[in-house]
Amino acid sequence: MSSTTTNKSTNSKAAEKSLADKIETLNAQIDWFYGDDFTLADASKKYKESLGLADEIEKDLENLKNEIEIIDRDFTK
Amino acid sequence: MDDAPFSVSEFITYLNQTLEYSYPSVVLEGEVASFKVNQGKWVFFDLKDDNASLGCFLPVWDFRTELVDGMKVRLRGVPKVTQWGKFSFTVKEVIPVGQGSIKKAFDLLKERLTKEGLFDPAKKRPVDIEKIKTIGVISSTQAAGYADFIKIANERWGGLKIQVAHTGVQGLGAADQIIRALAYLNEQGAADVIAIIRGGGSADDLAVFNDEKLVRAIAASRIPVITGIGHEVDESLADLAADIKASTPSNAAQFLTRDRRAEIKNIKAKVASAKQKILSEISTLHTLNSNNIETIKRQIFSRLDSELEKVRSLKRTLERLNPDLILKQGYSIISGKLAPGSTIKIESHDVLATAIVKSISQKE
Repeated sequence: MSSTTTNKSTNSKAAEKSLADKIETLNAQIDWFYGDDFTLADASKKYKESLGLADEIEKDLENLKNEIEIIDRDFTK
Repeated sequence: MDDAPFSVSEFITYLNQTLEYSYPSVVLEGEVASFKVNQGKWVFFDLKDDNASLGCFLPVWDFRTELVDGMKVRLRGVPKVTQWGKFSFTVKEVIPVGQGSIKKAFDLLKERLTKEGLFDPAKKRPVDIEKIKTIGVISSTQAAGYADFIKIANERWGGLKIQVAHTGVQGLGAADQIIRALAYLNEQGAADVIAIIRGGGSADDLAVFNDEKLVRAIAASRIPVITGIGHEVDESLADLAADIKASTPSNAAQFLTRDRRAEIKNIKAKVASAKQKILSEISTLHTLNSNNIETIKRQIFSRLDSELEKVRSLKRTLERLNPDLILKQGYSIISGKLAPGSTIKIESHDVLATAIVKSISQKE
């Protein structure tokens, strides 16, 4: 089957996967604050990391585009 | 009469070839009369208007709706002369037209398919939008409903692949196109969910979504199907057969996509909760330290009080042993040798005296 892509995405599946990874990493970072390993000594550094990652995710989410493909096939026949 | 004669069979074949050439596909509209199904295989009825009537025929397996006498219908088919010389219209497709006919056909077909269990809620499959990577869309790319679906999907989320099968979404032929698109997307197997999209329209416009074959194709789809057809008040048999019925194309897009704004809000809330946790820990630590300081202060003061009490007690003891106090009680201190004739000193509370010892005797 051949197809035509009319709105090629700048952010492909890889970007989506990367976004999913980032969200997973952020969740793990946030979990640390509620875990047994939490210490106030490390909290500030961890918080800054989480804040930076959250900003990145927000930008990714705002820029993520869908890929729309019109199937090149005549369904009238 | 000099022309070479046709045989009857040859003439009928020739007539049918001429008819097929002249009228390869004819669309008629009229009212159904004398509807009957013979031997469970053949459907016969007359299509009439005020002045004329035409015998119609179709195999029962091509019959995709419910008809009763008096219904207004639109047909697509070909004219044909039978081997018995009877003129007939072979129907390829039939749909009811007009609100009354559509409603009647809808009710009858709904009743039959419900009895078959085609709309059984237990057969509905859930769709996990977190796992959706590819959405198959069946719609007309020219339709406003399609534009609404894409707009909302793009606004809400990104990173999805949307495969669009462009089909007709109203009128004769549209049902078959949608069925082919469904089959195609099922064969390809790339889509996680299939959305059948069509914006609002009249009952006639939406009648295609009550086509029996289409309804069965939706129910049989291996890939879960969501319908976003018409407006909120519209209900089609396609909606009933689908796994999920969205009220509109926009609603279908909302259902299938996560909301990036909500996700951003959620992420911000998570980070804010981490900040709150730090502040809470600091507050707890501060309270703990304050409490410890208070405890230590209390312990120090308690110890001081205790020591002070000891000092006071010793002081009281010392005071009781103070010679001045004893002298005040009337006692005196005598110093010097106690022997007859010796001089001694006597100290009382308030005077000092000198005296001479006159005599000494032992106490008994």
